[in-house]
Amino acid sequence: MVVCRLLFNGRLGVTGGFSELIGQIGRRSLEFDWRGWFLIGVVLGGTLFMALAGGRLFDGYGWLTETFHGAGGGIAIAAILFGAGVLIGYGAKLAGGCTSGNGLSGVSLLSPASLVATATFFGTAIVVSFLIKALI
Amino acid sequence: MRPRLAAAAVGIIFGVTLCWSGMSNPDVIRQALLFERAYLFLFFASAVAVATLGTATIRRLRRRAVLADAPLVFSRERPTRRHIIGSLIFGVGWGVADACPGPIATQVGQAMPWAACTLAGLALGIALFLRAGRTETEPPSDVPAGVGTASHPPAPAPVPSGVR
Repeated sequence: MVVCRLLFNGRLGVTGGFSELIGQIGRRSLEFDWRGWFLIGVVLGGTLFMALAGGRLFDGYGWLTETFHGAGGGIAIAAILFGAGVLIGYGAKLAGGCTSGNGLSGVSLLSPASLVATATFFGTAIVVSFLIKALI
Repeated sequence: MRPRLAAAAVGIIFGVTLCWSGMSNPDVIRQALLFERAYLFLFFASAVAVATLGTATIRRLRRRAVLADAPLVFSRERPTRRHIIGSLIFGVGWGVADACPGPIATQVGQAMPWAACTLAGLALGIALFLRAGRTETEPPSDVPAGVGTASHPPAPAPVPSGVR
């Protein structure tokens, strides 16, 4: 976060990187700004760590693969993750950032908007997690 | 080329850190959100503490960005309705998938099959937002309100925090 500010006067945020890639590709351009290249680096960081660790860090997918089984279960997991992804993408854009943009970068600047956003998404995710635990 | 390489290098370090700390694992996130482990909260708090100290340091030492022709601006925003509604929507998705955009990116880097589903949804969510022509909420930098480029529309008005 500090390095992004120092080098680019930019706010570290992964949603910003996704937004840059999707926006530019939608304009049929591969001329990404620093946010797009930052995101490409994050993806490569995952690849690099997997290579150093000698394989993926985990198998399955948390409560979803523990709950749903078989071919029908696979479709259910895919649909749930897809739906969750839509909410994550749209919600983060509307809120002006995700856990990195609002949570880390904004909170460290004591930005009131980021403090409110971070408290809201942490609180919501906690309630949702307990609801899921009660339902399964 | 230098800014792109530098941004990619910072991204690689961030991605490795997310994996190393376990944040790319949905089980780690879920255990934290269910208050079974304090790890996520401690990790997050320490990251914010380091970022706050680092920001305060560069604020005193530098006036301009190293790789961009721009002054360093440390702006704050006032909370509005979109911050709350957006975070409610985001929080539901995060609580269900136990992954936010950073970990999703690292899962894609690890070629996790399930991450393709979350990534596709994430891309659609962002595309829907951009297609609706909503005001860009994440500026490429904290430029003053009204300043933008052809590919990056102006950011909403930030509230300068002044010198602390």
